[in-house]
Amino acid sequence: MLREKRGDVRILAGGQTLLPSMAMRVSEPASVIALSGIQELALLRETAGAVEVGAMVRQAALEDALKTRAITHPVLEAVLPWVAHRPIRQRGTVCGSIAHADPSAELPLALIALEGSVTVASVGGNREIKASDLFTGPVQTSVLDDELIISARFPLLKSSDRIGFAEFSYRHRDFAVVSVLVIVRESSTIFAFGGIDDTPVRIEIPGALAESDLVPQLTTIASRQTVRTDPTASADFRRHLMTRLGQSACLQALGQ
Amino acid sequence: MRTISHQSPKTLKIIVNRTLIEATCTPRTSLLDFLREEAQLTGTHAGCEHGVCGACTVLADGVAIRACLTLAHDVHEAAITTVEGLSESGSLTDLQQAFSRHHALQCGFCTSGFLMIAEDLLRTTPQPTEEEIRSAVSANLCRCTGYVGIMRAIAEVAQQRAENPTRQERRHA
Repeated sequence: MLREKRGDVRILAGGQTLLPSMAMRVSEPASVIALSGIQELALLRETAGAVEVGAMVRQAALEDALKTRAITHPVLEAVLPWVAHRPIRQRGTVCGSIAHADPSAELPLALIALEGSVTVASVGGNREIKASDLFTGPVQTSVLDDELIISARFPLLKSSDRIGFAEFSYRHRDFAVVSVLVIVRESSTIFAFGGIDDTPVRIEIPGALAESDLVPQLTTIASRQTVRTDPTASADFRRHLMTRLGQSACLQALGQ
Repeated sequence: MRTISHQSPKTLKIIVNRTLIEATCTPRTSLLDFLREEAQLTGTHAGCEHGVCGACTVLADGVAIRACLTLAHDVHEAAITTVEGLSESGSLTDLQQAFSRHHALQCGFCTSGFLMIAEDLLRTTPQPTEEEIRSAVSANLCRCTGYVGIMRAIAEVAQQRAENPTRQERRHA
């Protein structure tokens, strides 16, 4: 069906992005394909090395599975409460947020930080797309018109990993101006920044993280990064946020 | 999988407040428009119509969702509860009475949405902390009377229901 109607069709999972964009006439698809009846796509499980989330798993279902410890993943646990509000998460899906690829969204940020991937299906079969190849621009992905994301894989952390997350927005749970996710590993530190550029950005710095020079280190990272200016914030303000939120996220991680 | 396309209005069935409603709707009809226009239940309010204000919040199979961000055809055969369906007897529920007692409403436009997120919170978290109540009510906008009365009303009902579970059971019967 995606192949037949190429380009003029939208997939409806939770609809928490598609419906507002249709309400504002930003998106006027001739057809909408609703996935809600497909039980197979509601699969949520912890497999060897990753949390695998099917296309119809709602954000609140993942949040609840993490809360009850049915699934353990500190990164997902840290970012999910920041994804809109609970009534939106009760409808919105994890894969839908990834497919939308908003550069300020938390789930794409987590996927890129963890070097996760998505599985896409088409009539021709399935293929896996790595997070680093998935996000190609603001709300753009490398998923083709006749392909559908059927699941996302969030690799598990190592037991020695420690994490921190911080975000700034103008209104409670609104889109992030800047968000920072930090994963402190034994021999490197991963920084992932949301809201600064056309896609979420992952930067891995080798060596142990020293608490004493967090701010100079983050200032250097921010100064080397392409950072956008838009009506919500200047590049300078975003760089300032990268440093301060980065510091806060690192301190959370180092305090664990 | 249901394909929703421009051309053909389709029949759909939604159980609204324990009554089955069957209607023929265009695919683009939101659950909000369905409730207000097809079911003729105008207690669910149309505010921003893009998911920000929460005035249109209803329960779908017990779970609070935004009616404006849900296509009616996407909740085919689901059970929806609106503010009109909170009480079976027609008298105010414990939560509605507490809203009145604590002056948790002024103009009332946002109230039906707040009642829904409050019921959803008390279902999943029967004994919420102040922080949990604060977080839950932050999902909806109140532009006149403020949130303090709303939070007090929810906290009081949580306590009442814990002390008197039969009252809660009767409500959910």
